[in-house]
Amino acid sequence: MDLSFNEADEQFRAEFREWLAANLPMEWRERGFWRRQGEAGFEMRRQWEADKAKAGFAGIQWPKEYGGRGGTPAQRAIYDEEMVRHRAPLTVNSLGLTFLAPTVMVIGTDEQKRDIIKPLLHNEVIWCQGFSEPNAGSDLASLQCRAELDGDEYVINGQKIWTSNAMHASKMFGLFRTSTEDKKHRGITMLLVDLRNPDGSFAPGVDIRPLKQMSGASDFGEVFFTDVRVPRSNIIGKEGGGWDVAMLLLSFERGASALPQYAAFRREVDDIVELAKTVGRDSDALLRQKIASSVVELECLRYHSLSVLTQVEQGKELGASSSMTKLQWSETHQDIGELFTDVAGLAHQVSGDGLDVTDLQQSFLWSRSETIWGGSSQIQRNIVSELVLGLPR
Amino acid sequence: MYFALTDEQRALQATVREFLADRFPLSAVRALYDDEDGDGDPAELWKAIGAQGWLAVLVPEEHDGLGLGLLDAAVLARCWGEGVVPGPFLPTLVAAEAIRLGGTPEQKAEWLPKVAGGEVKLTLATEVRRASRTSFDDGKLTGTIQHVEYAHVADRLVVAADGGRLFLVDPKGPGVTVTPTETLDRTTRLCDVQLASAPGEPLADPALPEVLDRAAVLYANDLAGVARAAVNRTVDYDKTREQFGKPVGTFQVIKHTLADLHVATTMAEHAGWYAAHALDAGLPDARLAVSVAKSKASDVAREATAAMIQFHGGIGYTWEHDAHLFFKRAKREEYQYGDAATHRERIARLVVDGD
Ligand SMILES: Cc1cc2nc3c(=O)[nH]c(=O)nc-3n(C[C@H](O)[C@H](O)[C@H](O)COP(=O)(O)OP(=O)(O)OC[C@H]3O[C@@H](n4cnc5c(N)ncnc54)[C@H](O)[C@@H]3O)c2cc1C
Repeated sequence: MDLSFNEADEQFRAEFREWLAANLPMEWRERGFWRRQGEAGFEMRRQWEADKAKAGFAGIQWPKEYGGRGGTPAQRAIYDEEMVRHRAPLTVNSLGLTFLAPTVMVIGTDEQKRDIIKPLLHNEVIWCQGFSEPNAGSDLASLQCRAELDGDEYVINGQKIWTSNAMHASKMFGLFRTSTEDKKHRGITMLLVDLRNPDGSFAPGVDIRPLKQMSGASDFGEVFFTDVRVPRSNIIGKEGGGWDVAMLLLSFERGASALPQYAAFRREVDDIVELAKTVGRDSDALLRQKIASSVVELECLRYHSLSVLTQVEQGKELGASSSMTKLQWSETHQDIGELFTDVAGLAHQVSGDGLDVTDLQQSFLWSRSETIWGGSSQIQRNIVSELVLGLPR
Repeated sequence: MYFALTDEQRALQATVREFLADRFPLSAVRALYDDEDGDGDPAELWKAIGAQGWLAVLVPEEHDGLGLGLLDAAVLARCWGEGVVPGPFLPTLVAAEAIRLGGTPEQKAEWLPKVAGGEVKLTLATEVRRASRTSFDDGKLTGTIQHVEYAHVADRLVVAADGGRLFLVDPKGPGVTVTPTETLDRTTRLCDVQLASAPGEPLADPALPEVLDRAAVLYANDLAGVARAAVNRTVDYDKTREQFGKPVGTFQVIKHTLADLHVATTMAEHAGWYAAHALDAGLPDARLAVSVAKSKASDVAREATAAMIQFHGGIGYTWEHDAHLFFKRAKREEYQYGDAATHRERIARLVVDGD
């Protein structure tokens, strides 16, 4: 056991802190700041993130030639941790960063790496992920949105749904049915689709409609395709090999260390402790037990993340066991949401009233989605029980 | 950054597992359950672990020990839990830690080499009977202490009295009455210890809080081992037991419960290693880590061993089946050195009150 980072990694931390100190305005770090900016905040974040990338603090683990930093997994973890600690704004390109870029780095052609990674890191292209359809959620392989070959182009017809960031995205990486003859997993291909023209209007045949979430925000939407034409060269991986690409892609989400979630959720618990003191309930024995339970699960998440990070650094395959990471952080975050309402009582319904709990309210609501997207908790438990424990289907 | 056992620690783990499976398998544990007159301390086993040098793990090299860390001892404790191994192994390690941390140079020189050589058994006596106290007066101790593991076979008791001061007491000496009880978990024996003006030899330093933390970590690791064995054994059974024409392990309620238990057990395992390392390395969050480890392991072991009974059906409720060995040990250790709620309250003191 040695939980210290090496000198080069600590040097990186120092450099990044210095950059953040100089480039992240103090007021941006205040609670509620981004909420108050509304839609304008998106453009501010997009620009700030691009500047950060140009200063060398993006794509930490990816090669310099594609716009990355050429760093180590440990530096990536440090980067994530410092971003949360400094209350830096959330990325505007999370699906591209989390899913598309690492996939392209592994199986993309050199040309794709060049064309995709740097514009993504610099937020010149914002990506969304088009997997789910009205009739294909957990059972993703039953998707029906068609892409038919016509000469050198695919012609797409059909619909995607729950598409996060659809209102801001200019491109989509999506799964489409390119053959109905093959078995259901085999006739799927991953394609890159332009959703918008350079002036921001929808590309021909594309229609995007926002969907209002239970939080009141509209961070996801529906995307409709009518005879949308995509060049055949926009395939990621192989034609008909989209399922394997999707599985690879999803493994990046699950395999990531959850240190950023730890840092963010731990701060939420601190905020809830503050709240308990404000409302005079910090000596309530039952609430203290609940607070401690959340701390226990979060600390375990941190230890688990350190163990995952060690395995990644040693180049080990995490495989299906990384579903455990998702279960641990998403379920724990829901418990923290419940902790908030238990501490606040009815006041959790009412923000203002001398008690600004809007951030905790939002986080509480959002936590209900975290056990659904990225593979629901039930699907994760199927994976753990079948692929890790070896229980029969 | 390296959060994992070293190659040496892994090799030790493999050796201990193999040794225990060979020399003290579950059939031997069951035999112990059935032996109504036995003292719960198989002599052969004790001799063998002494010969292996495992009692020397925490004893400093200057006292003929291996001078290793709590993490290495935790590796052993984990194996003990996996095999529900009986005997005063952990009690001796814990009480020896009290001497190592609080003893005078003479006390260390007298006792630690004997611990390392497997020549003596020790135990820590802390749980004073409700509404009484153990007092120290003019070199003599008086009071009643309950639930002292293996006091009936120990060569010395390390007794906590008078607000946490520690004393060496000879259980066979004058003024000491040791009464073993019928203990539900027969991989140990809890004893009542009566002290009536019993001679007590004070240790030099007030080491009790540190000893209790280290004990909590060792028992947490034993519990993590119990939980892991319970999950694995239940998975194995449910893969093959058929009802309704298919293995019961295909039923999703069983699968999902076992998946959750696997995750929770894995977390308890990480927490057990982390807490041991945190004490070894003097990390600033060591006290938090101890309480995280003990509360998590206590909860998980209880749930996993209860599921072990449930997901075996009727056979799981029999004396012949192994499930109750794990269940009873988990239950017993849950309350040793602080149950989950006690440790959570300590976490609240750290996190809420900033103590
Ligand atoms: C906030 C949010 C953002 C999202 N963003 C995106 C995005 O950007 N791109 C995208 O493609 N998708 C996105 N999704 C969609 C998400 O991936 C799906 O909602 C998810 O895969 C579940 O599919 P479903 O909604 O069709 O539910 P269903 O699959 O219909 O599930 C209904 C219930 O049945 C359970 N269930 C299903 N199958 C099983 C099984 N085999 N065993 C046990 N239980 C089962 C599920 O766990 C769930 O509880 C997003 C969803 C949310 C909530």
